[in-house]
Amino acid sequence: MSAAKRVQQWATFARTWHIFDCKWQDPYDSANVIKKYLMGLHKPIYHPMNDSGDVVVCINSKEIALRGDEWRKRAYFHHTGYPGGASWTLAWELHNKDPTLIIKKAVYRSMKGNLQRRHTMQRLFIYPGEEVPHDVMQNVTNQIRQLRFVPTRLDHIPEEVTKTYPKVMDFPEDYVLK
Amino acid sequence: MAGLVRVGFSLTRNAIFSTSIRSIATTAQLNLKAIREQTEGSTLIIDGVTVPSPRTELLIRAEPPVQDTALSTSEKPPCYMCALGLDVKHTDVLILSQFVRTDGCMLPRRITGLCRRQQKKMGKLVAMAQKAGLMMNLTPANCKKDPTKRRDYKKFNTYFDERTIFMKKIPKPVDRFKR
Ligand SMILES: [Zn+2]
Repeated sequence: MSAAKRVQQWATFARTWHIFDCKWQDPYDSANVIKKYLMGLHKPIYHPMNDSGDVVVCINSKEIALRGDEWRKRAYFHHTGYPGGASWTLAWELHNKDPTLIIKKAVYRSMKGNLQRRHTMQRLFIYPGEEVPHDVMQNVTNQIRQLRFVPTRLDHIPEEVTKTYPKVMDFPEDYVLK
Repeated sequence: MAGLVRVGFSLTRNAIFSTSIRSIATTAQLNLKAIREQTEGSTLIIDGVTVPSPRTELLIRAEPPVQDTALSTSEKPPCYMCALGLDVKHTDVLILSQFVRTDGCMLPRRITGLCRRQQKKMGKLVAMAQKAGLMMNLTPANCKKDPTKRRDYKKFNTYFDERTIFMKKIPKPVDRFKR
């Protein structure tokens, strides 16, 4: 095997580390994307029997965004196994307890329930803030594109931009400015 | 009887004090005004100063459509937002802030000049932006402006789907990973 072919072989089967910024992202939509990288579905050599999955590092999982009233409507079910051991935790309660759990459960549920799923989940790292341990961060070579664009707050936009932005509404003639 | 008296009273009052009569004036009464307050020593001077609108130069309007005599007589022309045909999202705070007073309340329809449907849409979009904490400097004072200072489910980031604005009944969220 030539040297070039050997490098191509390494590059094909090496694990790539991806980073994903969860800020203002819907966890259930982004789980479908993260799943593809975790399982290696984005690679042409994918086969369920080969170990071609990548590693995904999720940051800012504290700042995920849920749609509409899902924070108080979505419930997570747990049963201890004892009689009367059922419990329903709302999404905002779960996020208060552990800000990484919603994205973890979303990725877990997006994958098919087989023996491989637990091992695939081991390759997912989730951090609530922006701080990532150095030994994890030094491996990262790729960034996964965000699905939703992060909105800008009006008070973060500079005054000149707000003033010179094109206007659609003009005041009527007899209006007293307030 | 009492109702009749009230109707008669309101009719006479409207005849005397209605805006259509008051608007006939020899001086230029109808101009955009700003209220200025000055304190000189112990006296407070409040006067309405006529100002040019700061928005007129930056105003954007759709080009008037080609005149079709048969259509233009039967149908009312669309309002300026319908004519522009912008796809406004609740994250477009630079557009939404134009429909809002400085205290964060929505301007009424007689001032915005929108049609009924657009006024409803803009009002809902403004409410969405304020709930998501994107217009913190333009939110009514009786609300918690900063979402991180709100309690329970209100303190986390929320985004909205604009398609739900005119839905009669918002469907329940589907389980996206159901097999
Ligand atoms: Zn309209």
